[in-house]
Amino acid sequence: MTRSRRLRMATLSVAAISLILAGCSSGEDPKAGKTELTLYNDKGAWSKYFEEMGSLSKQKIGLGMKPVGYTDSAGYQAFIKASFRTDVKPDLFSWQTGGMLAEIVKQKQVAETTEVWQEAIKNGDLSQDVASYYTVDGKQYCVPMNVAYWGMFYNKKIFDQHELKPPTTWDELIKIADTLKQNKLPAFYHTSVLFSFVWFEQLLAGTDPDLYDKLSTGQAKYTDPGVVAVMERWKSMIDAGYFVNPGDKTDPGDVLKNGKAAMVSFGTFFNTSMTQRAMKPGEDYGFFVIPNVNASLPKTSMIFESGPLCSQTKAADPAANMKYLKWWVGEEAQQKWSIARGDVSANPKVKGDDEALNKITEDAGKGEYRLVNRYFEATPPPILTAALDGFGAFLVKPDSYPKVLEDIQRAADEYWSTHR
Amino acid sequence: MTVATTKPGGVSRRRAPLLGTFRHGYVAPAALLVAGLLYAPFLWTVYLSFTSYDGLGDPEWTGLANFGRLLEDPALLTSLRNTLIWVAGTMLLPVGLGLLIAVLSYDLKHGVWYRLPFMLPYALSGAGLALVWSPILSHGGMVNLLFGVDTAFLQEEPTNTLALLLVWTWQQLGVNTLLFVVGLQSIPKAPIEAARIDGASGWQLFRRVIWPLMAPLTAVVVGLALVAGLKTFDIVWVMTQGGPGRNSETLAVTMYRDTFVASEYGYGSAVAVMLTVVTGLASYLYLRRQVGGTS
Repeated sequence: MTRSRRLRMATLSVAAISLILAGCSSGEDPKAGKTELTLYNDKGAWSKYFEEMGSLSKQKIGLGMKPVGYTDSAGYQAFIKASFRTDVKPDLFSWQTGGMLAEIVKQKQVAETTEVWQEAIKNGDLSQDVASYYTVDGKQYCVPMNVAYWGMFYNKKIFDQHELKPPTTWDELIKIADTLKQNKLPAFYHTSVLFSFVWFEQLLAGTDPDLYDKLSTGQAKYTDPGVVAVMERWKSMIDAGYFVNPGDKTDPGDVLKNGKAAMVSFGTFFNTSMTQRAMKPGEDYGFFVIPNVNASLPKTSMIFESGPLCSQTKAADPAANMKYLKWWVGEEAQQKWSIARGDVSANPKVKGDDEALNKITEDAGKGEYRLVNRYFEATPPPILTAALDGFGAFLVKPDSYPKVLEDIQRAADEYWSTHR
Repeated sequence: MTVATTKPGGVSRRRAPLLGTFRHGYVAPAALLVAGLLYAPFLWTVYLSFTSYDGLGDPEWTGLANFGRLLEDPALLTSLRNTLIWVAGTMLLPVGLGLLIAVLSYDLKHGVWYRLPFMLPYALSGAGLALVWSPILSHGGMVNLLFGVDTAFLQEEPTNTLALLLVWTWQQLGVNTLLFVVGLQSIPKAPIEAARIDGASGWQLFRRVIWPLMAPLTAVVVGLALVAGLKTFDIVWVMTQGGPGRNSETLAVTMYRDTFVASEYGYGSAVAVMLTVVTGLASYLYLRRQVGGTS
């Protein structure tokens, strides 16, 4: 009886523990070569495009890809960080350049891709300029999943109606805003949620791009006169009535389509929002490079962002991951990726359907602009969080800018005191 | 135990050893799940609250530094103030109005039809509710257009917290009404009749007879509302993300934001520990007063 009881107890315990452990196992043989990779990303809305890429890669290199898309960036990042400590690892994953990439490189969690970059640069599939965003201590990590140049999308019908033309100087841009204001139409879109940094980065990069870079690396302060002057300019533009309500929750795509604002500053990926709304480039909307505030700068500053596609250091099949990344940056894959999303590609050989965007890519490739890393990636996360909150508060109460800058600087002081 | 000895049936005698044999086995899966998914993360959070940790590498022990920072953080003070508004507002609106509607409708012939419109919004999830109300209350949204006003309901503080509270009331009113109606229908009729014969009516009857008889149910409804107010998260996160400028954050939103958005796992954990202590303490004090007092 006693033995029987023990046996039953043991069986139950084993069953209970197995049940729990089964939930934690990956169910894959890690030694077997992979024929399909998982690609975790925080671009849930792009799942359709990733799936198209998975089908193409299966056909071309015999290696399929299945996307797992998150829509909440914070939840996604927490998951990826947790995966570094467990055996359940994504094969490929999207991340951010700047401080976020440097962090995971420092922790030795992301695989080096120097070889992929060298070969791609040699073939003309990637440019040396873009490499700098992927370089940490002289080595490259990850490859570009997407790139975007930031400029101004404008409602062409409104421009035509008021006989306006895309500006080539800052004064012309302000003159357009004045004309629209006289016709009781807000010129620009802005928002107090998440993208509250857009006008700050644009005005600072267009006034003093060196100061912008110094601010990103802790060599300048948010309370410096140059930064204060930018906030004052931003405030004067809000006071002048150039902007829509920052608390308006209308999607910026609809804002532009419905003419709620005549211009929306966004990355080239916004093109997808336009085409999804059946708007035609050159007919319903247009795109121009935002002129510098400071006309004496040698090159027009252009905000640039690039989202990396990475492989973990301890991936299940590192060779398969590298094979995939090599294919990803090539012309064949990038042509498909660019056309599917209606966006530009990191590969200079790729031409999309939109002539205006093709020209931007071409000019940027020739070095005609001073590319400035987007504020979201350029700023370390704790400072960024404080800044997004601060700019959001500023948009509601523009008079509060001195306090906002002090609050951001406090977060910056704290961060840089331990991250020099 | 008493039952088993006073009922000498074969059934009890046969079951006792069987239950004895299996009792640990039966409990084991649930105990393992609770320990693994609840207690272990809780202890880990408490440990993290004493560290500096960005989610990568190893946590660095900093002692009470995070708790010291909590006392000086102006955003936390705003968050505390908003949480208190939520707790007070939850008591006043969904609970208070719920009671009023229940009292006015519970003995009406077709009372259920009066209560039904208040019940329907309860079918919506918290996040769904927030998504629906967001364009209604946003600056330039439907309320602004409908009434020709230019009020930024979700921008200015504390208007935004009050606006969110009204949305929350819209959803929660029905379920509180239902609970109070059940309470009103289940209280014994004899004391009420006796009070009526003695001449009690209206407010006096409610205050002196009905309200005391409903005390056990009220304790549950208010207790649930207290905890719900303290842990408010979804509606705030979806509608304002705690902003603009952190002015509509609650403690639960601050905890999430500091941990996952700012990647300050240590500080966020300290907020979580503080929220746990506040919720635990408030619930304990309230229940001790209500339940302890009646037992």
